[in-house]
Amino acid sequence: MSEVVAGASGATTEPVPRRRFSVNAALDGFFFVFAGVASVWLAWLVLTESFSFGWFGILFFLLFWLVLAYLVLPRLHRILTTIYVPDYFIGRARTSDGLLGDPVNLAFDGDEASLHAALGAAGWTRADDVDLASSWRIVTSTVTRRSYDEAPVSPLFLFGRQQDFAYQQEVEGNPARRHHVRFWRTPDDWMLPGGRRVEWLAAGTFDRAVGFSLFTLQVTHKIDADIDIERDHIVTTVIAANPAARVEVLADFSTGYHSRNGGGDTIRTDGDLPVVDVSAVPVAAIEAADAAGAADVAAPAPSVPGGAER
Amino acid sequence: MSVDKRPAFESPARLVQAPPVAPTMARPAATVFGAVLVVCRVLAGVVWLLSLAVQWRQVVTVDLGIPLDDDAAVDAGSNAVLVVVLIVGAIVLAVEVVLALLIFRGSNWARITVMIFATLSITWSAIDYFGADTEITLRTTLITLALDILVLLALSSRNARAYARRPRVRSR
Repeated sequence: MSEVVAGASGATTEPVPRRRFSVNAALDGFFFVFAGVASVWLAWLVLTESFSFGWFGILFFLLFWLVLAYLVLPRLHRILTTIYVPDYFIGRARTSDGLLGDPVNLAFDGDEASLHAALGAAGWTRADDVDLASSWRIVTSTVTRRSYDEAPVSPLFLFGRQQDFAYQQEVEGNPARRHHVRFWRTPDDWMLPGGRRVEWLAAGTFDRAVGFSLFTLQVTHKIDADIDIERDHIVTTVIAANPAARVEVLADFSTGYHSRNGGGDTIRTDGDLPVVDVSAVPVAAIEAADAAGAADVAAPAPSVPGGAER
Repeated sequence: MSVDKRPAFESPARLVQAPPVAPTMARPAATVFGAVLVVCRVLAGVVWLLSLAVQWRQVVTVDLGIPLDDDAAVDAGSNAVLVVVLIVGAIVLAVEVVLALLIFRGSNWARITVMIFATLSITWSAIDYFGADTEITLRTTLITLALDILVLLALSSRNARAYARRPRVRSR
């Protein structure tokens, strides 16, 4: 495991060397915790206030939920997970609150352009980054029930970094249901537990509905528990569309591990880790995929039993 | 290669370490939100000053118990006090607006200063609430308290901290 620990800590080194401890940093830590405690008090005040306003208090109760779900619980989780969740690679991405998120269930070899080309050819759409414009478009497309097939995905963290990019396939123009997969470039010289070098790690899951997160009570996507179906769907589509791509399976990489993701959804997996080598995929395929993209909107459902790599 | 044994938990000292951040980091929503909330706090202060000016005579006679009706000199004195209070209040609010602007532009000391005052204000309210049984309702101080807590939450968040403490590239 020594490489893993060294690799993970190597990923968070800063370009500018800084002192280990400063008054500034201590103040920041104090304010971070103090604000967390104060927000609990605020939630309590808002809750008690909601009873003194009759029917109007329902609005206050809504406000209480907003404060609790989007301010109090994320802050408490961030403080607690900083202490109890290990920060080296354990096969799981982490949410922005530090909770364990989607499992890492795919790996890729090849440079970034080849990866984009292979996914584009396989009928995957790159997700927009989260910003004001894309957030607004999510709201309008949800209200007007129009499709938004480049909808951004929430940030998940691996090696202390947000995903480098994400790809998705919309299902039946329904924003609540979609295939999606996030990609992280691994740090240089970093190896998987066991010593295999891969250039990209990815986490693919299928969003099946919109619901409440178990841990933060926020509105979020619920994922399908059988994450192997989605993993095999991604591998199958990429291999089918790219004759130059090869796949190798690290069998039982995280065998029989059953858990929950960052939203509290159950996940099951057989633990295999397919490593897809896309380094031989011609980069010119990107333009061809863009041309074919319009005809390829109806993405196949994740109904690939077993998958091609077995 | 020998590796030291790791503890089975992460050190809480990680909470006080700044997250790694690129010099080209875009301004995060938390920083914008924090600056806007400080401006809201200023607006609340303006409303408070105006209501104080309007109800000044009542405040002096009823709340402070100083009779104003009989003496023109006392009356003039009370008006002078009001002007001083308004000027001092206006200066404080102007400083707060400048701090909000500095926070928006990514100043770390402005962020720390505002957080210190928010912390003092929250602590004061908490002592009042838990110690002296003062009731905190929407009609009294819930709005200012909520603004203080929201300011503190926004400005102490990891994104706001990273943005304010990002390594600067001197382009000038």
